[in-house]
Amino acid sequence: MVKIQTVCGFGCGSSLFLKMKIEDILKENKLEAEVFCGDVGTCASAPCDVIFTSEELADRIMGRVNVPVVVIKSFVNKKDVTEKTLAFFESLNK
Amino acid sequence: MGNFLNKNHIRVKETASDWEDAIRKAGAVLVSENSIETAYVEKMIQSVKELGPYIVIMPGFALAHAAPCEEVHRSDVALITLKEPVKFGSPNDPVSVVLCLGCTDTSSHLDMLSSIAESLMEDGCIERLSKASDVDEVLRILGG
Repeated sequence: MVKIQTVCGFGCGSSLFLKMKIEDILKENKLEAEVFCGDVGTCASAPCDVIFTSEELADRIMGRVNVPVVVIKSFVNKKDVTEKTLAFFESLNK
Repeated sequence: MGNFLNKNHIRVKETASDWEDAIRKAGAVLVSENSIETAYVEKMIQSVKELGPYIVIMPGFALAHAAPCEEVHRSDVALITLKEPVKFGSPNDPVSVVLCLGCTDTSSHLDMLSSIAESLMEDGCIERLSKASDVDEVLRILGG
């Protein structure tokens, strides 16, 4: 099972919004993955296949992790979140 | 959803001079409900200074919160709308709706927050909230 980590400052606020959005999109596109929340401090040590986060936090995460970091500017921009989620799944098939 | 955000946790058309003031106004609601201490409000502001305005997670909306700590007495949320929007320095500026979240740990508030998040992420919700003229209208928007 693919593991997606959504990351915010403390792993209990905005990452939940993003997790819910991604879960909606997975459901609509009949994709399966485990989505869980993490915080910027400990996200590098939580095993996952990809990290979704906001623009401001991405800089703090990139370079510390060896999984792709996907940047989402607005968590409600469904088109953007959908495209980036689907692109990640496509990259898995390469 | 009405179970979590009642009238006492909502303020409409608050005035705030800047983003810090907006967080203080939202935090004051939870202080008056005795859910958090004032020190937690300062932690919310500090976290934006340290981590940047990432809490502005969608256009017009900021989710103010800090890490779970002892200054939070119980997990709770408050929502305010601003008479004049403020800038956080985010691509999703200006902000006219602030949700203040206090949590005692990273899991006990998840049902509450996800139920509110579901309403807030509906198309046009933030815009409708920012135009709401009173608390009842806010409750209707979030409940509908």
